[in-house]
Amino acid sequence: MTDIRTRVQPSSTGMLDDMVQHIVARGQRRKAQQILLGVGLPAGLLAIWEISCWVGFVDVRFFPPPSKIIAAMVQLLLNPAESLRLGADILATLQRISFGYGIGAIFGTLTGAFMGIYAPFRFALAPLVYSTFPTPKIAILPLMMVIFGIGDGSKIALVALGVFYMCCINTLSGVLYANPIFNDVSKAFRIPFWTRLTRVILPSALPAIVVGLKLGLGQALILVVSSEFVSSNSGIGRFIWDAWQVLDISRMFLGLVVTCLIGALAVLFGNALERRLIPWAAR
Amino acid sequence: MRSEAAWSSLSRGKTASPSQDVDRNGLQPKTEDTSAVALRDIRKAFISRNGQIVEAVANVSLDVRQGEIIAIVGPSGCGKSTLLRILGDLDDEFSGEIVWNQDGANRSNSRLRSATVFQSDSTLPWMTVYQNLQLGLSSLKLDGSTLQGRIDRCLSLVGLSEFRSAYPHELSGGMRQRVAIARALAAEPEVLLMDEPLAALDAQTRLVMQQELARIWSEISSTVFYVTHDIGEALSLADRIVVMTARPGRIKQIITVPFANTSDVMTLRALPEFGELEVHLWRLLADEVGGTLRKGRLSND
Repeated sequence: MTDIRTRVQPSSTGMLDDMVQHIVARGQRRKAQQILLGVGLPAGLLAIWEISCWVGFVDVRFFPPPSKIIAAMVQLLLNPAESLRLGADILATLQRISFGYGIGAIFGTLTGAFMGIYAPFRFALAPLVYSTFPTPKIAILPLMMVIFGIGDGSKIALVALGVFYMCCINTLSGVLYANPIFNDVSKAFRIPFWTRLTRVILPSALPAIVVGLKLGLGQALILVVSSEFVSSNSGIGRFIWDAWQVLDISRMFLGLVVTCLIGALAVLFGNALERRLIPWAAR
Repeated sequence: MRSEAAWSSLSRGKTASPSQDVDRNGLQPKTEDTSAVALRDIRKAFISRNGQIVEAVANVSLDVRQGEIIAIVGPSGCGKSTLLRILGDLDDEFSGEIVWNQDGANRSNSRLRSATVFQSDSTLPWMTVYQNLQLGLSSLKLDGSTLQGRIDRCLSLVGLSEFRSAYPHELSGGMRQRVAIARALAAEPEVLLMDEPLAALDAQTRLVMQQELARIWSEISSTVFYVTHDIGEALSLADRIVVMTARPGRIKQIITVPFANTSDVMTLRALPEFGELEVHLWRLLADEVGGTLRKGRLSND
């Protein structure tokens, strides 16, 4: 009782301040908790791994302790020739992803939008798109190499194809399953076609379009790394594969860490895109 | 005062037609004899999911006069919304005829033939309030200042001037519905179509909005086609009430609302005639609803 009385300030604004402070403090606590758990789980897993190596639960020839891997990574990065090669590989991979992703995203989104808007276009393309969609894209790499050669062309084409499906299918469903009230508004106010396309149809499909764009990023990374495994002289996939072939486990892990970082970057990019394109969506 | 000037283009359109070449200073009857739109023998059927042919609207004929507020009431599923969708160009699969007043003065690039206010939230969430109204005018040929002036007027008419740059998700449900109403008003439609515009609102907001609609309509003297399931609302707002039968929807009775043209909804509701008419309408509707329920029970046996 007395506790409550001491917490209440004499003026009403004082009471509000008190409440605001509580809300802010609670927000800060949650944020701290989020960071602690988000960092804590990976750190804990690494610790378990480290301990397992010490007590001899795992074969250190294949799973060296994280401490050793990190030390080897640092050593490798400090070597100018090695870090230069890693940089070149990262660049090669990023280049393939950007070209392939750009092409696939543009064509996929446009195709999906037109399929949604024009029924004949949809009737013509839907069977083709849906029947080829489940094919593992990496299985088409040889075909792509026949068409585009064994250089970057075939890898970019493969990435573009994978991204195309994600964007096309998601955009199509976005247009088809948009709230029908928007369609009604367009008709009721006789909105001209171009205005309708750019200001009603595409924005209403945007949440689905962005989902396609985000899924496409993951797809692009999978396809670029796996095609680099199979046929390439450069790229992060090649880097990992080379390390595996000489059983340089620390090097292999370095490649994996870099791949994870590229993936994390892609997620950040996707989230930024989402905030930029659909600011009205609930945060 | 301000709103009179606001709707000058509308009044000009009307005075230009010979039959209404009179000043509208309140002494004139609100309802003109000129038809705004006539429905002739409208029928509508659709095929249900299990392949049955369902007749939704049967042989509806109705003359909507200029400046008149018509309310359509009827049991749910009687095709009243279907009728409104046909009038609003949202549904072109029907038989019968819709005759719009082809008066040359009313045919212009600055007004829509009809504009609809929908039952559910129909604001576009990616546009500000202002842009939502702008979109509704995109098929009209208006110069920049006319457009801006019209939007500003309509926003102040619904009391949302302060919120022109707000996004719909920042507004309450009632405010969003007012945006939709302002959007329809801004098109200065020859016939304003409203499909249970207040049904999704809570009881208090609904009452306030009824009052607001009565005020707005008295200011703009527009022709209104108003679908509702709320008898009190129909009585408070309409000049004529069209009662429809259960499916297939036919016109059961047309009631002319005899009240003096008061725009205070609360005063209206206190009139004894209001209560009498309300009971009469309830009875008419109860017959229809009861009939549907009985039929449903029989088919269940």
